Amino acid sequence: MDRNKITKWLKSPGKMSNKYSLWAIYFCTGCGIIEIPPVITSRWDAERFGVIPVATPRQANLFMITGYVSVKTLRAIIRTYEQMPEPKYTVGFGSCPINGGMYWDSYNTIKHLDKYIPVDGWIAGCMPRPEAVFVAVTHLWTLIDKGMANGYVKYREKYTLYRNNQEKVLGELDWQPLYPTDGKDE
Amino acid sequence: MVKMNKLLKEQLESAFKGIRISIPEDTRMIIHAKKEQVLTILKFIQNKAYDHLALISCVDWIEEGEFELVYIMSSYLQGNNKYTGKEKVNITLKTRITRKNPEFVTVISVFENAEPYEREIHELFGINFKGHPRLTPLLLEREYEIPPFRKDFDTRKYVEQVFDTIPFVEDKKE
Amino acid sequence: MVIGIIHIIVSPVLALIIGIFFLGLSRKIMARIHWRYGPPLYQPVIDIIKLFSQKGVSHGFMFDLGVILSLTGCIVVILFIPFGALCPLSSSGGLLVILYLMLLAPLAMALSGGEGANPNISIGISRKLILSLGYEVPFLLILLTLMTHYKTISIVELVEIQQDTGWALFSLPLSLSGISYFLILPAIMGVRPFDIVSAPQEIASGLNAEYGSKYLGLITIEHGLSLFIGTALFVNLFLGGAHNPAIFFIKILLVFILVLFINAVFPRFRTEQAIKFLWGVPTLFAFLGLIMSLIFK
Repeated sequence: MDRNKITKWLKSPGKMSNKYSLWAIYFCTGCGIIEIPPVITSRWDAERFGVIPVATPRQANLFMITGYVSVKTLRAIIRTYEQMPEPKYTVGFGSCPINGGMYWDSYNTIKHLDKYIPVDGWIAGCMPRPEAVFVAVTHLWTLIDKGMANGYVKYREKYTLYRNNQEKVLGELDWQPLYPTDGKDE
Repeated sequence: MVKMNKLLKEQLESAFKGIRISIPEDTRMIIHAKKEQVLTILKFIQNKAYDHLALISCVDWIEEGEFELVYIMSSYLQGNNKYTGKEKVNITLKTRITRKNPEFVTVISVFENAEPYEREIHELFGINFKGHPRLTPLLLEREYEIPPFRKDFDTRKYVEQVFDTIPFVEDKKE
Repeated sequence: MVIGIIHIIVSPVLALIIGIFFLGLSRKIMARIHWRYGPPLYQPVIDIIKLFSQKGVSHGFMFDLGVILSLTGCIVVILFIPFGALCPLSSSGGLLVILYLMLLAPLAMALSGGEGANPNISIGISRKLILSLGYEVPFLLILLTLMTHYKTISIVELVEIQQDTGWALFSLPLSLSGISYFLILPAIMGVRPFDIVSAPQEIASGLNAEYGSKYLGLITIEHGLSLFIGTALFVNLFLGGAHNPAIFFIKILLVFILVLFINAVFPRFRTEQAIKFLWGVPTLFAFLGLIMSLIFK
């Protein structure tokens, strides 16, 4: 942890401050949310890493999607993700966002979350332990250092493709496109 | 307690023809009835202080070509003040209806809280309840050709058709 | 003249440094009370740098204007409070001006909250104004007591008199008012049990619901400044204030830690419970203090 190296702060304050102050939005997606309160409270303390839960997406820059994602939840997740200010990072928590997990042949869940919003990292497990959350946070720091955690840039550049995928699975979307689309369908 | 059940069993068998009652344990009673008698049996049981409809459920017997509707009733303690916790009795009522164009009458006139259960069964099994005030979708968002909980709904084929055909975003090279 | 301008610039900057230090100290002490390690002491600095480096959304012109106005309101109040021997606007009204300038910050937030189209902001604003209604009544009685007993409205003169004759908290007719002020101090600073203004679990953090990147940075700075204002006013009015800035800093640090201990223990009041408390015991004590100060001339 290089939080107290002053020269790095002077060289790139934006990147260092984004690393050490990740505010996670408290969005209780699925069954995995039961593993987040132990991470935040006294025993496995997440505040020493700079991670605190906040109440609205306008104040957050880390989005943890814990557990399975049904079709109705995907609507809420996309609207929440689009309201967050940039730069923002997403972490898929549990094995259901990775490839469907336990619900791999269900008629109502989303199997690969990567097709609909960009995801920077995955945590495997059903459910992962709180120590796995801290390993994920430190991995996210390494990715931010190297400049590889740019899911939001990918969302901005390939927005047409993401929106096509969202429309295929959700039907008619009742919110305007976030970035101006070219009008070309791929 | 067993005495109470036997009394109720004799009353039911004398009031209705053609029903079959079995008592597998001390605290459970299962009644198999025909579908025309369901409303009158429910009203009869409600008058005997079993006034809490706990659940309506449905079983798909695909080999016999029938749906089986299951009504579970129990009693609040105030109606029957001889009950303690261990001696609570559940009464289960089972009927069969056909599988082709299934229809049934709603029991809202007897138990008003049957509305969301019947709405869920209509959405997931496809049974039409006559007289129900609103049979709109409760849980799911999209239309399915075969209602999802039936045994001839192939989940893996559905997943391959709908979800696996959506491309990953990396695949397309711009 | 030049000294005056330097005082006007230095005083809010010092208050800003102390306010941000208080924010970090509060998180560290709360963490240690919960038996866990906390973030480092410079965590609010990291938060503010991160917030200013984000690219957020704005809802219009009034939205931006309200946030800037409320920060201005806070800074203007700081110019009237003496910090040790340093008081920029010492000859301009003192207590009366502070009384109505302290309401500029929430009213400016109400102006910007009207443009952000979120009902949570309106609920937060209404709770803040109702809470102000609650603590203004004993606050006015306390200030009236001070003004009649010491026969002055200038805070700098109050500090001078207390340096000669001892702390106002321990002088006989004013001790009841001092106790009453300490009882309403959590309401003025917005900490538990009067935390209803920004209640994250209930109304999605109330006032701050729609504010994203740089606006939230300004609001965090303003929160730190309001912590400083609350404790500094109490120290100047009742605990003597000091000529030496170091002793002044130690006094506000002790008052802040005491309020933090109250914050760590209590849950949150509902709105009507808060008003019922604030118009009950503290108002009674302040009223009795006023009567006693009229009797014991």
